[in-house]
Amino acid sequence: MFTLIKREIQDNVAYFIGAVILSAILIALLIPAMYETIDFEIVFIGLSLPVVVFIIIGCAGMGVTQMYVDRTRRISAFVSTLPVTRGQILLARIIAGILAILMVLLPLTVTAVVFRRLFLPPIPIYPGLIFDISVVAFLSGFACYCLGLQTGWTSSKITPTLGALLLTCVLVSLILVKGFGLHIKAILVLFIVASLIRTWRKFMSTAL
Amino acid sequence: MDQNVIKVENLVKYFDGRCVLDGINLNVPRGCIYGLLGRNGSGKTTIIRILLGLEPPTRGQTFLLDAESSELSAKLHSRIGYVAEGHNLIQNYRVGRLIRLCKDLSLQWNDEFFNHLIETFRLPADRKVKELSIGMRAQLNLALAMAIDPELLIFDDPTLGLDTVARRQFLELAIELIQQQGRTILFCSHILSDVERIADKIGILAAGKLVVDCPLEELKERVKKLRVIFPKSAPTNLHLTEIINQQIQGREMVITVANWNKQKQTVLETFKPSSCTEIPMSLEDIFIECTNPNPVSITG
Repeated sequence: MFTLIKREIQDNVAYFIGAVILSAILIALLIPAMYETIDFEIVFIGLSLPVVVFIIIGCAGMGVTQMYVDRTRRISAFVSTLPVTRGQILLARIIAGILAILMVLLPLTVTAVVFRRLFLPPIPIYPGLIFDISVVAFLSGFACYCLGLQTGWTSSKITPTLGALLLTCVLVSLILVKGFGLHIKAILVLFIVASLIRTWRKFMSTAL
Repeated sequence: MDQNVIKVENLVKYFDGRCVLDGINLNVPRGCIYGLLGRNGSGKTTIIRILLGLEPPTRGQTFLLDAESSELSAKLHSRIGYVAEGHNLIQNYRVGRLIRLCKDLSLQWNDEFFNHLIETFRLPADRKVKELSIGMRAQLNLALAMAIDPELLIFDDPTLGLDTVARRQFLELAIELIQQQGRTILFCSHILSDVERIADKIGILAAGKLVVDCPLEELKERVKKLRVIFPKSAPTNLHLTEIINQQIQGREMVITVANWNKQKQTVLETFKPSSCTEIPMSLEDIFIECTNPNPVSITG
């Protein structure tokens, strides 16, 4: 399994480098914001929307790339003739996707938590805000990644691409309307489960 | 444990409404070298892909090493070596990286044998797979398949693109493997002399059906090509069944008959031919006769 995950990371190293760069840029933006005594929560909320959009596009792109390259270069067709099952190939792919998303979000969340402790806001705020934003960002990214996996594996590209665009619009609107609360988390989890089941079934049953 | 390493039961496969495989039944016993033959597009590769679980069947079931093809575990895969048609390797990987990947994923790896093969084939580890010639790719694929010491080897036209020397090397290697007890080989090739040299059982696919499925020696016994000279003009109907091919020219008739036996010989003798001589047939001759538009079934 470790070999398969390593292979996925090496094959999609550009996305992992992109994740590190994005994370570094966002942290670099946070640091001066803190020292200029701007309200931390405003900075974080202000950054979170572009972060979510970036993650959504990047994650969908990664999912599409992984599946499309696999399909065109017939990588799974070769790998599945080795002592590996199709399930393991897809699982390794999904784990690599999760790692890429976490590479953006984890350093950012840790930095935000540290800064929040260092620069206490004058008015007490909802303590789980950073956690909520991070979870929603992760779920949004993962949902888009799952949709990307589906899009990349389908020979018809128009419907899934339109679907991906629609989902992005719906997600951004939902975040704007509902915030980062439980509703959006539930919607995203449901979407992820449905999308993963569909991808899993397609990947397990189609010709490689 | 079943003695048949490969089992195909009533296999049907349609591609875009076109029937490629029409109720194939096939068994390959342990230790057998099975030569699967057929013209281009006859469904040889499709059978292999279905066996390996790469392609879903429309109907029917296939089994490899007692497990259904769609449910082959990683452990079972480690007992199967596969050389694909067109040598389906990861093209943008360097040879060294591909070898490392295969080695890391394999449950057993015979380093000594693999290095021996790599040295014999003189494969460069620093070049990308796509930069290799077809022959070199074939050699790499073969070396990777052999390195895991497989119990079952599936070769889908493995000598395609190999030069004469490399082809001979491959065959010698295959013969070396055959000598190791208990190994089973399913071998597809268009080079019939290669198949004739190593196979002990033959299957021929034609029009979606397995028209021949019997040991090579038995096949040669059962398919007869005869040159029959009659005192007067040759009769148009010999009242023989399973005639694969028949050509008449004046008094001479050249006839190819499947499942030749005493009864058929007696029927032929009732026409009182002046002479009847057998024309020796190679596997290639039999293959050409058996893949005509109206194939006759020869199964063991």
